[in-house]
This record gives sequence, C-alpha cells and structure tokens, in this order.
Amino acid sequence: MANKFMDPHDVPQIPGTEGWEEMYPYQYQFTKEDPERAAYESSQIWYYDGLHYPEPHYPFDLIWDEAWYLALSQYNTRHWLIPPAMGIDHRIVNGYVFISPVGVANPDDIPKRVPHFMERAGYYFQNWDDLYENNWKKKMNKVIEDLQAMNFTELPEMEDISVIKNGVGKGSGYELLKKYDKLIDLGLECWQYHFEFLNLAYAVQVTFFQTMEQLFPGIPMATLTKMSAGFDPILFKPDAELIRLAKLAVEIGCDELIMKPMKADELMKALAEDSIGKEWLKELERARYPWFHISVGTGWYHTHISWNDNLEIPFDNIRTNIKAIKAGKVLGRPTDQILKERDRIATEYRNLLKTDTDKEAFDQGLGLARLVLPYAEDHNFYVEHWFHTLFWAKVRQVGQILSNAGFFASADDVWFLKRDEIKQALWDLCTAWATGVKPRGPSYWPKKIDWRKGVYEKFTKWTPPSALGTPPDVVTEPFTICLWGVTSNVLQTWLKGDEAGGDPNVIQGSPGSSGIAKGKARVLKTVDQLADLQEGEILVATTTSPSWAPAFVKIAGAVTDVGGPMCHAAIVCREYGLPTVVGTGKGTQLIKTGDLIEMDGDTGKVTILQRA
Amino acid sequence: MGDKETKYILWYNEMEGADFPYAGKKNSNLGEMIKAGIPVSHGFAVTIYANDQFLILSGIKEEIEKQIVSLGQVTYETAKQASAIAMELIEKAPMPEVIEREVLDNYKKLCDQTCMSACPVAVRSSGAVSMPGQMETYLNIFGEKDLIDYIKKCWASAYNTEAIMYRMNKGMPFLFNIGVGIPKMVNSRVSGIIFTINPVNGDPSKISIDASYGLGEAVVSGLVTPDTYLIDKVTFDLVKMTIGSKETMCAYREQGSDIVQKDVPLEMRGQSCLSSQEIKELSRIGKLIEQYYGKAYDIEFGIDADYPFPENIIILQVRPESVWSKKEATAKVEPKKDPMERLLGQLLTGVKIK
Repeated sequence: MANKFMDPHDVPQIPGTEGWEEMYPYQYQFTKEDPERAAYESSQIWYYDGLHYPEPHYPFDLIWDEAWYLALSQYNTRHWLIPPAMGIDHRIVNGYVFISPVGVANPDDIPKRVPHFMERAGYYFQNWDDLYENNWKKKMNKVIEDLQAMNFTELPEMEDISVIKNGVGKGSGYELLKKYDKLIDLGLECWQYHFEFLNLAYAVQVTFFQTMEQLFPGIPMATLTKMSAGFDPILFKPDAELIRLAKLAVEIGCDELIMKPMKADELMKALAEDSIGKEWLKELERARYPWFHISVGTGWYHTHISWNDNLEIPFDNIRTNIKAIKAGKVLGRPTDQILKERDRIATEYRNLLKTDTDKEAFDQGLGLARLVLPYAEDHNFYVEHWFHTLFWAKVRQVGQILSNAGFFASADDVWFLKRDEIKQALWDLCTAWATGVKPRGPSYWPKKIDWRKGVYEKFTKWTPPSALGTPPDVVTEPFTICLWGVTSNVLQTWLKGDEAGGDPNVIQGSPGSSGIAKGKARVLKTVDQLADLQEGEILVATTTSPSWAPAFVKIAGAVTDVGGPMCHAAIVCREYGLPTVVGTGKGTQLIKTGDLIEMDGDTGKVTILQRA
Repeated sequence: MGDKETKYILWYNEMEGADFPYAGKKNSNLGEMIKAGIPVSHGFAVTIYANDQFLILSGIKEEIEKQIVSLGQVTYETAKQASAIAMELIEKAPMPEVIEREVLDNYKKLCDQTCMSACPVAVRSSGAVSMPGQMETYLNIFGEKDLIDYIKKCWASAYNTEAIMYRMNKGMPFLFNIGVGIPKMVNSRVSGIIFTINPVNGDPSKISIDASYGLGEAVVSGLVTPDTYLIDKVTFDLVKMTIGSKETMCAYREQGSDIVQKDVPLEMRGQSCLSSQEIKELSRIGKLIEQYYGKAYDIEFGIDADYPFPENIIILQVRPESVWSKKEATAKVEPKKDPMERLLGQLLTGVKIK
C-alpha cells in the first residue's frame, strides 16, 4: 500500500474552471512559486474537511472557514501555547477546503511552552464555569443583539431632514459601508468567542478518550459519550419547544385549527382572530426567540436557514407532534432516565477497575470531560445556529440592495462574491449614488457571477480525494484527533480507498449509533422534503439538526455525510436506539432514493445492495 | 414445600437448591439457576420418591433385599453379582401405572411446548449425594416407551458394580434411590461460548462470544472458525464482530446419540449466526451469571431452534474463567497528580498514526 497521498501540487485542474482561484483568497492556493512554502506543503498531511463541507465553497461562505482558520489556530499557538501543537493550516482545491495540523517545528521549544500552557490553561480550567456563564454568554449575547438590531435598507433619494437639523454630518452611503464592515466584524468577533473554550474542551476530550482507551481497550465512542454527555443540551430545546406547543394546543383546544392545511402566514392570521388561538400565539412567539433560530442544517452554508426564516418547518413539526399526542404516543426526551443511565454507566465502569491509580485516572478524565461538556455541546447553538442564521439573513438584505441596483440578477447572487468584493460593489454603488451617475456594477458583476456559477457547478461534480501529502507519525493537535477522528485506522482506510479497485457500493463513515439496519434509502437534501419519508426507510442526509426530529420516529436508521460521534444525529439516534453512520462524506451523492442499503452503526460501513 | 417429598415429578422451575433431597443435586441446582434468572434447558425431574415408590409398588424392593442378603460378604465379585441382579430386576419390572401416567403427562407437556409429538430429551441421573461419574446419562431419547425404559435404566445405573463398591466402602445402604432429570435436548441451531471478559487481554469491560452453527462441539473442539463478537458489558453495544468461515456443523445422528458432521450451506457461512437481539440477550445472561457467582465465567450456550426468542437461549454449562482471574491486578495507566498533569501528559504524547 502506498504510504503517501497525492502531492497537493499535482491535483488536476477541472477542464473549464481555469482561473477558479480568483473566487477564494490567494493564500488558500497550493503553489510552487516559493520553494520553501512548496516543500512545506508537500511534507504535510492535508485532509479534506468533509466534516464541515460536503459541498464546494461559495466565495462568500468561506468567511466562516477563514474565521476559524484564524481563531482556532491562534488559541493553540498564541493563547494557550499547546506545547506540541500549532494551528491548523488551510488550502482550497477545486472549491473544497483541505486542512492540515501544524506541529511545533523545533522539539526544543515544546518544554519551553509547557509552563505557559499550565498557567494559562490552568486559569481557564479553574474558573471555567464563571468564565463561561458570566463572561462568555454575556459577550455572545451582546454580539447577537447587535447583529439582530442591524438592518440594511435602500439608499434614500435625499437624506432625511433630521440629518440636517441634528447636525449629523454623515451620509447614508458612508453608513452603509460602515454597517457592512460592522456586519463582517461581528461575524469575526463571534468566531473569536467560538474558540475561547473549544481548544481546551477538545484537549480534554482527547485526554478523556485516550485515558479510557488505556483502561478499557476498544471502549466504544458511543459509551464514552453516554458517560460524559449532558442530559439537557440546548440543542434539544427547539424540539422540546415544539412538543410543548403541540401539547398546549391539544390542552387548550386550538389543535384542530392548527391541523387545517394552511400556509404558515394564513394560519398565524387565523390564530390571531381566534380567542384561544391568540393565547397559543403568545406562547409561539415566546418560543421563537431564540429557539426558532435553529438552523435546518449545520449553519455553515447560506442555504442553511432557520425555522424563523421559514415557519412552515416548525408548523409541520407541530402538526406531526399533535398527531402523535392524539395517537397516545409519549413525546420528548426522558431526561431523568438519560441522567440515570449516564451515572449507571460511569459507576459500573469505575467499579470494573481494580487499582487506585486506575480509579484516580478515571475520575480525572471523567471530571474534566463533564466540566467542559456544557460548553462543548451548547456553543454551536449560539454560533452556528443563532448567529449564523441571523447573519445570512442580513447578508441577503445586502444582496437585495445590490440586486435592486442591477448589480445582480437576484439577491442570492451575493454568495458568489468574496466578502471584500461585496465591499467593492458597495463602494461602486455608494459613490455612484452620491454622484448621481450609473455604477459600473451592473455591467461588471453579472458576467462574472455567471461564469462563477458555471465553475461552481463543475466543482459539485468533482469528488475531492480524502487526503493529500504526507501522513505524520503522531498527531498531537486535539481537534484533528477528536473532531475529525484522524487516527491511523482512518488514514489507512483513506490510503486504501484512494487506490484503484475500491468497491463503489461500499461507503465508509464513522460509527454514530449502534445497530444494523437494512432498507430502502430516502435521500433528503433539505428538511422540507421530510414529508416524503416513508415508515421504515433509512434516512440519508447531508446532516440533521433538531429540525429533523419528527423523522426519527419513522426511520429504521440514518446515514449522514457530515458529523462525528458527538454530532446531533448521532446523539439523537442513540437516544432513539436507531443505527446511525455519520461522516460518510458523499453518502447523499452515491446513494439514490429507493436503493436497498445495509448500514452498520458499529463499524460505520454502508453497503448499497441493490440499485433502485 | 411439604408436599414436594411425596411428588413423583418436580419441574426445574419449581425447585431450588435446597430441594436436592427430593430430586438430587444436579436437578435442584438447575432449579436454583432458573431462580437466579439463568435460562437452562426446559424439563422436569422424576423424584427420588418416585424411584422408591417404583421399587415398592412393583414389588422388587423386597426381592432385591432378599437376594442381596443371600450373597454374603461384600467383595468385588459379590458386588458384581449383586449389580447384575438389581439391574435386571429394575430394568425388567414394569413401571407402576401411577408413576408412568405422571411421567408421560409431564412429558406430553414438554412436547406440547415445542409442538412435537415426541420431543427428544436427555435422561440424566441425579443423586442426592455426589457420586461423580458413576451413574448414567442417556442422550437424544424420544417417545413414551423409550423414555420409561431409559428412566429405569438410569435408576438401574445406581447399581453398577463401581457404585455399589463405592457405597459399601462409605458404609452407605445398598438400596440407593436417585432422581432423574428429563431436560429437553437442546436442538442447537447455533451454539458457542461466552466469556464474561475479553479473553484476549483480560479487559473486564467486555463480553466475548464465539458462536457457530449446530452443536457446541464444533466450537469447543476448534473444528470451525466461529463468528466472534465483542460486546460492551455495561451498555451491551456490539463493539466488534468478525464473521468466521463456519464450514461444518455438528448434529446428533437421527435417532441416535452419537454426533455427525455436516456441511454448512454456502449462503449461511458468510452471515452472522447470531441476530443482534440474541447477542444482546446472551450478553445480558453472561453478565447475570458473572454477578451471580461473583467472578468471571466461561459459559457454554445453545440456541434452541424449537423455541421462539428469548426462550430459545439455553445455558448448557458454566465454569469459572481460569486464566485472567489468576493474574494480579496492575495499574493500566501512569499515575498523575492532578487532572492538568494528565491533560499535559496526553498532549505531549499525542496519538500515534503509524
């Protein structure tokens, strides 16, 4: 077997996409122009980040990749001085992001970093709850509040008289440019906080996993998560709210009205006119902020909107819940039972240990894991769901302004511009507005956007290799181990898979939830297709979020493109006792609806038995 | 419990360990295991009282006593003669109708459970005192006539020469009534061995199961490469499964008690011979047995094709694990003075890739 992947400089260009590099920042390219940089690139392992990015990148959406490139790396390298690990480097190939953990170049520097790490990380661990509850949440809420308050409106024909009478001294064009900067800035700030605790949380999880592996060789990831998992993570709140609203509707008697087949806005109107419905609407509004700011996807792409962006989704779910309640089904997570089970597993495991040293190591590992868990589980809701879905909506407003000015054919063309290019376009718009002339944008952007759309389309048909470059002997970077599960087994599988002769009907993912299921596949790209799902089918999706909750009572198992053993789909499926495979990368592309598939939630293998 | 001493039949699940004076040790132990939740083969015991009543009602009790006294001094030669006399009398005497009716009624109940007209059973001797290996056990017996004959053969086997000598040397009486166990023969679709630890590394957090088609001999004697399963002992999640080649299987010769080998059909070889619910149930029972005895165990089981899940899982034999239990416990990790030191140690080690 080969012991190296393809050199990153040798990846072939897709015909017809020449010049694609202009869609992304220049530092994201593999290039041989600097021999030193080229040698470094060839000597590193670069793995495709299919965990976050099952689809190629839209130029604008790369903002979050750059944001974490900066934030994750700086915390390893400059804040905590993780002794052996520097940051994670990023490149982009044919629209797909590849990442690479960077080690400390000179081994002599590692011991020098240790005392700094102990002081800095030690401080955070000692004050963890206080820093998280009283500092982090406050900062995060402020960022979200500022974002929420932001609105992008058309430039006025003339400035309002108040600008004159209040001696404001500034104009709407300037304000628009500033507001756009502020929008981007809030996004980057939010991502700084995203990583304030996360590197340490992942270092803890690696420690927890490795300690347990030493104590109990081969202990399943599912057991480790059951042992450390929070019993009431925020990510389950939105679904819990939908259950609460459904129960309330049945209780006070507006369930029949809600069950009528109406669009969300018609239904809201009908409810407002009904005396009981009015009461229920109040509760709906309470639930919407913030719980309906949950994304229908991972939040990483602008297509991942929230329930608040499309109320049909929560209403459909509420209807499903009402039906289930009337059929006598018990809904909701049995949190008491989950907590009991978590403690039972931990206690039984601890009791299996025979020496005090082992017991102490067990307590240390589990204690750390449970300390960091609330943050590790909950930060996603604040950032990827709440902040991101609001953020995408604001950028869409900017797209609408540019579309109205003829720069774009539609507001959604905005995603094909890099964020700096949007700024340029806004400058074009504002100076032309100020001057009273026609901007160049309408003749400049549509052509470019059309070409980029063509390139993007070609990118979607390309399958990125699992990895490029040279595998290292040891991985020390916590995220690489924990989040992407990069271990020797995984690299071996990748090396094998990239060689010719791999079975195209076998797809390897990660075990998510135990069990084996066989059945017809139902490939769903978006949550609004949930209605198509038939009883007993295996759900094949890019990812799942709490929006998908009603699906889990129907299906025989789930396969997702994205996610690790800690992801939402894996956690929920373990609770529903459904076999799950996560992180297949391309499951939704290789499997078609109606294919007969077999999936093994213990090995992560999905086999297509018969094509539809 | 008073009426137990005058019953001809006691079902396994009516008994407990203390009932050995009525049915013998082997039988009452099975009752004790059922009480503890360990599923053993379904069946019943013909009591020691039944044996006694058989001797009395058939009139051979006096006959035996009379003939034995006439033999005089106990030597190996006289014991041999006594054995021949007693065994012939017992085997030839007709079974008294009251006992026969009881036995056959209950045999019919056992047959009805499996929807068979003549369910194969084992006929096993079970003394109230241990006399290891001195009495007989007959396998794969079916039909009313054979059942009655073999019960008598079993009773007779208490009078083989060695058994008589043993009793005489111990100063025990010549007449010796025993219990007889009538368990259904396990019609093993699959059988195998459960270890309540990982036998490879002694890890106590796993349960290991080896299983293959047919009777257990194929697995125990290493005739086939079985399917192997590793299960999380705390959550019962399947951790690892390796499908073995399983080319052959063992079965009883039809209407006989010897074992023959057969080919496993090709399409069955590549499949897991246990279903996931069977794996889970076997794990649960393995853990139960370990908890019951308070240490790691090595357990033989069969999956009976004549019963639905979960009654089809039958424990055949249990013994304490002997390899890892003897080793002294040593720490598996390095000691660290606090969680931060442990975290640092892990970061510096990293995770090996090659």
